[in-house]
Amino acid sequence: MTEEIDLSKLPPAEPYDKARDEAQRARLMKVWETPTGWRRISAVNNSSVGKWYLLTSFAFFTFAGFLALLIRAQLAVPNNDLLSQSLYNQLFTLHGTAMMFLFAVPIFEAVAILILPEILGARDLPFPRLSAFGYWCFLIGGIFVCGSVFFGVAPDGGWFMYAPLSSNPDYSGLGADIWLLGLSFIEVSSIAAAVELIVGVLKSRPPGMRLNLIPLYCWYVLVVAGMILFAFPPLIAGDLLLEMERAFDWAFFDPDRGGDPLLWQHLFWIFGHPEVYIIFLPSIALIATILPTFAGRPMVGHSWIVLSAVGVAFLSFGLWVHHMFTTGLPEISLSFFSAASEAVAVPTGIQIFCFIATMLVSKVRRSVPMLFAGGALAIFVFGGLTGVMVALVPFDWQAHDSYFVVAHLHYTLIGGMLFPLFAGVHYWYPFVTQKRMSDRLGRWSFWLMFGGFNLAFLPMHWTGVMGMPRRVWTYDVTDGWAVLNMVSTIGAFIFAAGFVVLAVNVLWPRGKAPLVERNLWNAGTMEWSAEVPDKPWGVRSIPYIHTRYPLWEQKELLGEMDRGEWFLPDAEEGKRELIITDILDARPLYVQRVGGPSYLTIGAAFCLGAVFILATFHLWTLTLLFGAGFVGFTLWWLWTGTSEIPEKPEKPAGRGLVLPTYAQGNSSPGWWAVFITMTGDMTAFMGLVFSYFFYWTALPDFLPGAAKLPGFGWLLLGLALLLAGWVTALAARERLAGGSTGQAMGLLVGGVPLAALGIGAWCWAAWSAGLDPTETSFDATVWVLILWLGLHLLLDAVMRLYVAARIWRGRCTPRYRADCVNLTLFTHFLALTAVVTFALLALFPMLMGGM
Amino acid sequence: MAGRKKIVPPGEAPRVIDQGSVWILVAAPSIWAAHFLLSYWVAAIWCAKLGRGTPLAEPRWIIAGLGVLCIAAIVGLAALAIRRYGGVFVIFEEITESSERARDRFVGHVALLLCVLSAAAIVFTVIPGMVLGQC
Repeated sequence: MTEEIDLSKLPPAEPYDKARDEAQRARLMKVWETPTGWRRISAVNNSSVGKWYLLTSFAFFTFAGFLALLIRAQLAVPNNDLLSQSLYNQLFTLHGTAMMFLFAVPIFEAVAILILPEILGARDLPFPRLSAFGYWCFLIGGIFVCGSVFFGVAPDGGWFMYAPLSSNPDYSGLGADIWLLGLSFIEVSSIAAAVELIVGVLKSRPPGMRLNLIPLYCWYVLVVAGMILFAFPPLIAGDLLLEMERAFDWAFFDPDRGGDPLLWQHLFWIFGHPEVYIIFLPSIALIATILPTFAGRPMVGHSWIVLSAVGVAFLSFGLWVHHMFTTGLPEISLSFFSAASEAVAVPTGIQIFCFIATMLVSKVRRSVPMLFAGGALAIFVFGGLTGVMVALVPFDWQAHDSYFVVAHLHYTLIGGMLFPLFAGVHYWYPFVTQKRMSDRLGRWSFWLMFGGFNLAFLPMHWTGVMGMPRRVWTYDVTDGWAVLNMVSTIGAFIFAAGFVVLAVNVLWPRGKAPLVERNLWNAGTMEWSAEVPDKPWGVRSIPYIHTRYPLWEQKELLGEMDRGEWFLPDAEEGKRELIITDILDARPLYVQRVGGPSYLTIGAAFCLGAVFILATFHLWTLTLLFGAGFVGFTLWWLWTGTSEIPEKPEKPAGRGLVLPTYAQGNSSPGWWAVFITMTGDMTAFMGLVFSYFFYWTALPDFLPGAAKLPGFGWLLLGLALLLAGWVTALAARERLAGGSTGQAMGLLVGGVPLAALGIGAWCWAAWSAGLDPTETSFDATVWVLILWLGLHLLLDAVMRLYVAARIWRGRCTPRYRADCVNLTLFTHFLALTAVVTFALLALFPMLMGGM
Repeated sequence: MAGRKKIVPPGEAPRVIDQGSVWILVAAPSIWAAHFLLSYWVAAIWCAKLGRGTPLAEPRWIIAGLGVLCIAAIVGLAALAIRRYGGVFVIFEEITESSERARDRFVGHVALLLCVLSAAAIVFTVIPGMVLGQC
């Protein structure tokens, strides 16, 4: 191992040379240039993709907000018939669905993609094409789900789609399929973004930015992306079960066949409650970034905020049953979740106290962002307090499914998410556009929204306590809710007027307005180091960071960066380059080359979108065709843009630092991406395992008699074959490292038939035992576990052939073998899946039968 | 990793685990999660298999016993955070120095805070087990 580098003792930069600086700038400009005209859609740069993501999310927000106004118009007076009941059901379902899945979560990704690399002083995120792919998936899926309302087939089962209303095609039409498949597709883009952001925070930090120096925003992004990874997959598992029941009549939720509708509620809320915090934390992160700027000092209790972010992330996974207090679960179970729901208020409160303390010990500058931040805290604290109320089981039994809950959730989401986001819009608008928003319009929009919001939602606490149920289409004048509903409707329209003012303020063309000065708020975080006018390269040279607020505490930094005195000031080879650093101390590890503009990601997203959309209409042949198209585009993208063998093994990165140009194993971001993706994948699998044990717990006769169990011998044979397949991957990695490319290819390809025979043996075991997934929940669970593994083996086969082809074409060599190492990592997870599945199919029934 | 041959970038080894660094941040809340899930499962299976109204005597002691064990483990973690990382329990932390030691102290400090939070959350979970006598 080479000597440790001490970044604080690097040789001084070369003296400034104007001609060199200009030549370097020209080369960087050429490499990082964003395509113009219609070719712009092929851009993958985080500033372009982030902007599209943001605008698209706000478009869906506007759409969902318009639906809310229709809902309020319908409820304004008693016995109203403005909307039909069927349309009303579609509107509230789509309102909730779009706000949660098409606005609240994507906007986190949008903001993070836009500002995270700049806060990290990085040129871009480690997988720019993955961001672009995620964006296109989001756009296509979102239009599909929202567009359904114009054909009268929008989902109408409520945003949480409870079974059996949603599982029985007699009760719910195409809308439920659109919801399931459309959202599964959008979940793909969320997980893609999560992988990108986790690797970004862990590996793309600027040299020197140790764990104790990471900005709070980045901690939150890391925590939230981690939460997405554990929260979304159970819903994907649930979607799979529900769609299998809807499309192929598999028995998961039908009590007559040993199914249980409560399983859906569990899977949904294991996702759904962390989701609330997935939405809330990134917005609070915006306040945590804005507040120090206007307080003019570092955040009080930096580490306490890190504690509360991590603490909330964990505790939020222990709250899901508090949405199910009225389902008849044993009281002891309810009280565990009630206790955890109270406990989560502790770390949440700590953050708020840190904010208040920071404001108390400093003289806060007045500004529109701070106005929104203050409004956010006021509304959120109110919503948090009603949250503590509904976390108490007896109170919840009274308030459940009433307008009290509607009021509570809007106070938390609008206070905890929307207002901080608007604060962020006003704060970062000059960063994105280099122009200033109108402060006067900003204040108008704030007071209209703040007043309108409270007018709309405060009365709902009373309508709820007076007995008005959620989702009710209309009511009678004798119910006594008429006046309060009218007040709420008026408030909603005032709120909407405030949003219109804000939208005008954002979208107003400011072509001739003067550019803002650099770092106009006098902030301490790195994103404000951007030059004015902005350049596409992110940072002129990647700086060495040794403080928490570099722009305040490293006085010379801006000049040094601008003169190209730090790392990678040039792009001699004409490639987009980033520095990858280590997780703990951000020591530079290697220079990563990332892909530039590409249509392949759009092609892949389009084909995958078509797969989900066509599956909704059960057009299976076309679905398969587009599935093949998706695989084709993805392989093409990987083949041409990833793990490229560098033209030289290392290069000077500036200031005497020489860094490798290739990495494999756990120093490469690709390895981490596979690891993180597969962690999410295992979580989805755990959702299926949970379902198995849920049935076993809830149903007295879930496990059938010995005659109906899959044959042990066949299962054991299958497992042996599957594990042999795994061993071929390990051996291939070792042979390749040893230089035997031929053997490595043979082992990789030879593993494919082994896996096919293995899963074949399992299918035969289930088939010969007469298991029919449409008959009982046990049969359906066995088949879905086999199906899950089968799909993964299919992916495994594609990857093996791909890596073998890479070896054959000399793109994966004994020295540069990241592809093969990553494939082996994937097979570790596959082997684990096979072993757990075997335990569920063979060992557990045997153990229980013997008892 | 098998992939290390000639070019060794400075400090490539997977130090995340071996230097005992970041795992301690997630250890304490993970113990809370394990206790929470086990308590939930024990009670859920007990009540589902034996029916409504069954006394909770055994599960209560399992939950409380597990709670004590878990808190003991968390105390151990806290001791590690203090001794090995130099973690301190202060309100106004200013661990902003750029050095490996400062990074360790920061991790130790946050880990210590998480230990306190996790132990408190475990107590929260044990309380209903003590209060409710039957399914």
